[in-house]
Amino acid sequence: MNNSEVGPTTVKEPDVDSAVDTDRPWIVLVWNDPINLMSYVTLVLQKLFGYSLEKATALMLDVHHKGRAVVSNGTRERAELDVYRLHEHGLWATMQREDA
Amino acid sequence: MHLELSDKEALIGLLDQLRDSLMNGSTDENLKRLFPTAYHQDPKHDEEYQRLMRDDLLASRLQSLGTATSVLSRESVDDTTVLTAQELDEFARSINNLRLVIGTVLDIDESDIDVDLDEDDPNDQRLVLYGYLGWLLDWAVTAQLDEYS
Repeated sequence: MNNSEVGPTTVKEPDVDSAVDTDRPWIVLVWNDPINLMSYVTLVLQKLFGYSLEKATALMLDVHHKGRAVVSNGTRERAELDVYRLHEHGLWATMQREDA
Repeated sequence: MHLELSDKEALIGLLDQLRDSLMNGSTDENLKRLFPTAYHQDPKHDEEYQRLMRDDLLASRLQSLGTATSVLSRESVDDTTVLTAQELDEFARSINNLRLVIGTVLDIDESDIDVDLDEDDPNDQRLVLYGYLGWLLDWAVTAQLDEYS
C-alpha cells in the first residue's frame, strides 16, 4: 500500500472519562452480616482498594446501617476480581450491572 | 503476638478441623459463608463464576489455614511470636474463617452481642469461643492498622 499521497489529518482524541464510564457498567456491593467485625471490614476495604480510613469507615457504616454499600465499580472482569478478593477475606460481596 | 501454649494448641485443633472439612469437599451448610454467591441476581452467571473461581478460593483458604497453623506452631520466646505482614494477613483471614463457620453454626444475629451465658450449654461454649476469636481478630486488625493509615 502506498501512503505517500495521504496528507495530514485531524484525529479526534477519545474522551477518556466517557470511555471509562461506558466501560464500567458493573458495581461491587458488600452486604451487611452480623458476623464480620466492623474494624475488620474497614481494614479490608483499606487494604484491597487503597481507601483512606475515613472513606473505608464511611463505607463500612453504610454497610452496617443501610444493609449494603457499593465499594467499587468497573468492567465485569474487574468486578469479578474485586468480588473474589472480598470473598477471600470473608466479606459477603456480590456484583451486578450498575443500572440493575 | 502473645498467646499461651494452650490457646495455640486449641486454635491449631480448630484450624485442622476446618482444613479437613474443606479438603474433604464437604457441602456442609455451615461452610456456606466461605463460598458466597457472586451474582446474587443471576444464578446462571453465578454457577459459571463458582465453576471458575471456587477451586481458587478453596486453595487460598487452605493456604491461609496452613500459614496460620505454621505461625501458631512456631517456637516462641516468652509466649511472643513474631509475624511478617503476610503471615498476619493470612492469620487474620483464617481466624475470620473460623468465626464465619462458628457464627453460622450459632446462627448469630445482631442481638447476640450481649447475652447471659450458661456454661453447661454447648452452644454457649461455642459463643464463648466465638467471642474469643473476635477478640483475637480485633487484635490482628489493630496490629495491621499502621500499614494502612
